[in-house]
Amino acid sequence: MKARFKQIFKYTLWALFATIIFFIIFLCVKSTDFLQFTITGLSVGMVYALIALGFVLVWKASSVANLALGQIVLISSWFSYSMLEQAGLPAYIGLPIVVIFALFLGWVIERFALRPLIAQPILSLIAVTLGVGYFLEGLITFIWPLSTAALPSLFPKEVIHIGSAVISQEYLWVIGICLLVFLSLVFFFRYHRMGIAMRATADDQIAVQACGIPVTRVFSTSWMFACVVAAIGGVLISSIGSISHGLVETGLKAFSVVILGGLDSFVGAMVAGPVIGLAETYGGGYLTEYLWAGVRDVIPFIIIIIVMVIKPFGLFGEERIERI
Amino acid sequence: MSLPCGIRNHSYAQDMAIVRTRTQWGMMLGFLVLLFTAPLYLSSYWLGVFNFIGISIIAATGLNILTGFCGQLSIGHAGFIAVGAYTSGILTTRFELPFLVGLICAGLMAGLIGIIFGLPSIRVKGFYLAITTIAAQFIIMWVIQQWDWTGGQLGMTVPFASIGGYAFRSGQSQFYLIFVITVLCVFLAKNLVRTRVGRAFIAIRDNDLAAEVMGVNLTYYKLLAFFIGCFLAGIAGSLFAHWNISLTPEQFSFKDSILYVGIIIIGGLGTSVGPILGVLFIRLLKEVLTIYLVPFLENTLTMLPSGFASGVTPMLFGLVIVLFLILEPRGIAHRWNLFKASYRLWPFSY
Repeated sequence: MKARFKQIFKYTLWALFATIIFFIIFLCVKSTDFLQFTITGLSVGMVYALIALGFVLVWKASSVANLALGQIVLISSWFSYSMLEQAGLPAYIGLPIVVIFALFLGWVIERFALRPLIAQPILSLIAVTLGVGYFLEGLITFIWPLSTAALPSLFPKEVIHIGSAVISQEYLWVIGICLLVFLSLVFFFRYHRMGIAMRATADDQIAVQACGIPVTRVFSTSWMFACVVAAIGGVLISSIGSISHGLVETGLKAFSVVILGGLDSFVGAMVAGPVIGLAETYGGGYLTEYLWAGVRDVIPFIIIIIVMVIKPFGLFGEERIERI
Repeated sequence: MSLPCGIRNHSYAQDMAIVRTRTQWGMMLGFLVLLFTAPLYLSSYWLGVFNFIGISIIAATGLNILTGFCGQLSIGHAGFIAVGAYTSGILTTRFELPFLVGLICAGLMAGLIGIIFGLPSIRVKGFYLAITTIAAQFIIMWVIQQWDWTGGQLGMTVPFASIGGYAFRSGQSQFYLIFVITVLCVFLAKNLVRTRVGRAFIAIRDNDLAAEVMGVNLTYYKLLAFFIGCFLAGIAGSLFAHWNISLTPEQFSFKDSILYVGIIIIGGLGTSVGPILGVLFIRLLKEVLTIYLVPFLENTLTMLPSGFASGVTPMLFGLVIVLFLILEPRGIAHRWNLFKASYRLWPFSY
């Protein structure tokens, strides 16, 4: 009986989902504002999804909740600002240096903050990432005392006309790059030795150790990857907008993606990212008239609360059953 | 467990006493006398620092009940403090109610909001709950920033605290007001965790499923923990409002929430002295940094970048939190107990 109910529930959800998609397409054709919001929302959402992927990577490999994500995004954006604007390097040299910096950052955080705390209670693991975030925030004001800055434009500036809407080209570039990173991660996890080892570690840590896979190296690789993904997200989102302290909040908003999609699901993050992005831009576009300003920035947090009450493990997350 | 050599308990009342021996009574009274004569020999700057320390101790005690004893991690404590501060501020300015009514209402309002945002704790825990409380922090601060009653970004001005026509304007009088309430709150918290409620909290922290099997009503006690923790946060917020007399949203940032979590970890989770020691450590570290270390370094090393002064404090705080978690996860309270044990048993440590 219950299984049957679940099936019906599932079909209803899919039907609802399809209706919403048709509705969005219909509105896209009808109104230009809406198309603009959709493209913006999709691209911002894809960036959220990327940052969320960074979280999911670490969570799957080592069950550590990385709450310093926002600060990692911010520090790598500032670092790319230093490379591209202050040192004046061209993008094809500067951006690889940013990636190397992110790799190094991930390694340092894992080696010096999390490795000593392996197998500690979850509260200490959360608190240590909070401490790391606090430290990074201080480091950022220490090195880059500016309040905001803009990256040099990475993408061509010409606008594209779709129907009657005018869309800046960079949004499409951002969506494309996010999809590319996601695809390469998928292939990495499917075919590369390390990727397979990481999936195995997520599945059963003791069995993996018995097979002779160095689990600590898996942990540190997952942190390095997470930082790189977050850095790419940071550079993309600050090339659309600007670098400012608000990027920390962007990193926190990525948690709503993680929660909605499920903590341990890559697909969940990639589906939930655009959903959150769209909800944010539609909400900002249509609700600001009726509510207070800045409603755009709290929508992800409101979604977190709603998901927590209705379906705490997210759309694609695995429901853990606990034993005493 | 912590009695000097040769002292035995002969009755349950003796066993349950917080202050057991004459020496302990003497030291306790000495400490209280020292505390309440402190305004006589503190300069007005340090008086301000200690007033803020007292307020922070109340808030940290609340968070310690919620996180340290009941195990429900809250990273939105600054938001709940803000609820208390603004409730008290609005009640005393808009409705011109007396300060004491504002104080109690601030606590109740913060507790109520705490229960609302604590509702997900019935179903989720650990990281999920941490994220929920972060969301609570941002939603609360958004409402405060946008609502016209709270003055939005510009903030609002609040009158000084006053009881029965006497206004607490000077640093000294505020010191007495704040520390009387702080001592009361710490005493209540100390006693709360020794009661049935406190034991239920500890059972939930150690293993909530096992606690439920033993017959602890999880929903009731988790929400009660949220209520008590946020109630104390609200009291602290109200005192802060009437001490600082101007309120802006920046005073209750997400960073402060993280700092409160750091404070109770540094002090020692799940101990009564933990929050006090943690607050003292963090606030005094900040004063030492801003008064002595930063000007000294800036004078000796002229090469420093301009963000040094504002960046070095959060850097050190983050470092201290990480180092405490790695090197002394039981916090300063554990060291304090070791110290007490060593002098109690001196010179025969067996």
